[in-house]
Amino acid sequence: MKYIDIGEDYTNTPAGRFYKDKNNKKGSGEEFRETMLLPALSSLDTGEKLTVIIDNNVEGYGSSFLSEGFAGVVKYGHMDSHELLEKLIIQYTDPDFEFFKNRILEYIKNSSFASEQYQSTKTSING
Amino acid sequence: MKKISKKQRLADVNRNLQLRKVIRSTKTLQKCRKSRKKNRKSTNRFNWKMFNNWIDQLIDSNSINITKLKKNRLVLFLPKVMNFSDQYEATTLHINVIRKITSTTHINAYKLVSVRFNDLLECSTSASLVLTAEISRWDDNIRNQLIPDIESWNENILKQFCELGFFELFKNQPKIEEEPINSALSTVKYIKSHEHDVDKTIVLKHAIQKIVGEKISKWTFLYTGLSEAITNVVQHAYPKNTKTADNERYWYLTASFNKSNSLLKIAFYDQGIGIPRALPSSTKWEKILSYLSKFPIGERKFHKHLLKAAVEVGRTQTDKSDRGKGLSDMLQFTKQRKDGYLSIMSLKALYKYSISNGKSKDKAVSFALELPGTLIIWCIKLQNI
Repeated sequence: MKYIDIGEDYTNTPAGRFYKDKNNKKGSGEEFRETMLLPALSSLDTGEKLTVIIDNNVEGYGSSFLSEGFAGVVKYGHMDSHELLEKLIIQYTDPDFEFFKNRILEYIKNSSFASEQYQSTKTSING
Repeated sequence: MKKISKKQRLADVNRNLQLRKVIRSTKTLQKCRKSRKKNRKSTNRFNWKMFNNWIDQLIDSNSINITKLKKNRLVLFLPKVMNFSDQYEATTLHINVIRKITSTTHINAYKLVSVRFNDLLECSTSASLVLTAEISRWDDNIRNQLIPDIESWNENILKQFCELGFFELFKNQPKIEEEPINSALSTVKYIKSHEHDVDKTIVLKHAIQKIVGEKISKWTFLYTGLSEAITNVVQHAYPKNTKTADNERYWYLTASFNKSNSLLKIAFYDQGIGIPRALPSSTKWEKILSYLSKFPIGERKFHKHLLKAAVEVGRTQTDKSDRGKGLSDMLQFTKQRKDGYLSIMSLKALYKYSISNGKSKDKAVSFALELPGTLIIWCIKLQNI
């Protein structure tokens, strides 16, 4: 079992869809997917699961972040929604975060596989 | 062919270089002339007579209180009450007058030289934020030359704007004696930020905790709404094809707490193109409305319809299925708190969702006057105070 603790390992203020949505380019859904989620998913052994802790010292999540960060894995064709849901465990203790867990699962389920081609927005602002 | 000497060769090269310089400078001159012509054309397009007539009509009809000085200079007096609930028309009119006069550079058009707060007795949190944003925009445009004059201000208004951080806008800040004034309203210093800045919400959180004296339950959902509001500003409010300069792409945020009725208000304002103009019309009905929007009444209905669609069905500029959830995220804080309202005002439309004792209702309203931007207000009642 592998873990990603968003508040501890990534940021406590996740927001925005793309790198370009934040002036310091940090904390967006695109960055989370590219630097945290995808590497962790690809390092899993067969049958191994990835637990994502979503409520540890995290302020909250906007839809843009969740949809780009999680459902983007399916949208850009890294794996289909069924496979992603098999590998992911979303964990929280604060009851308010059940809402965000449900959104993550909803966005993944509703995302269509390889429907878009990924183009990084990392260099689209300030060089 | 005769072989040329070294001296001759050098002379040829020098002459050539000189010639190139002349050609280059002529080309630049031509370019300059063309752009000057273009600029002249675009300034000519502005109908200053019509603009001045509009102001004169407003003065004649007593809609605004303006004193005319020499050389087309104007002094605008704010009304007694400014808010977007029961004084929408008067408040928006004054905001529009400030925006329009300060955006005009034509030599014959009226110029605003002063905005007087003397008559202002009541100003809601959201109105004070919008007013601050418009005056800040004006001050930025004239390179921070505004000098505040606080003589004859109402003391509650002075306290409110002082707490809001209004005077920190100016290079020349007035000296304000800090006398304790008994006012039930406490305001959080406003946050002005560039479009990409999301982390400022944490500053707001600490400031709210300071005036309220406790943690705000369900804050997570307010953060969600605010972060989506900021993301929307980044992605839609200031499109690249509009003339907005980089230093004008700001959003403004503040909050206030009224001890007498335990109401906490959070207001967010951007001066962008507005939600209805950022959305495409997709259905047949919207295309008809879009055509009718060339007429004033049609435009109002069109804005109302699109704003409602944006909040309720997640209509988005991009038309991608995974987009357009941001505005509905803003509803979550109000829904989770189960008591309060969310109102979104953009251009000529208002969408309001309110919930009380578990019963929710929503409405969409259209106005004749347009707010030059988008204003989002969350209002909740804190029970334990």
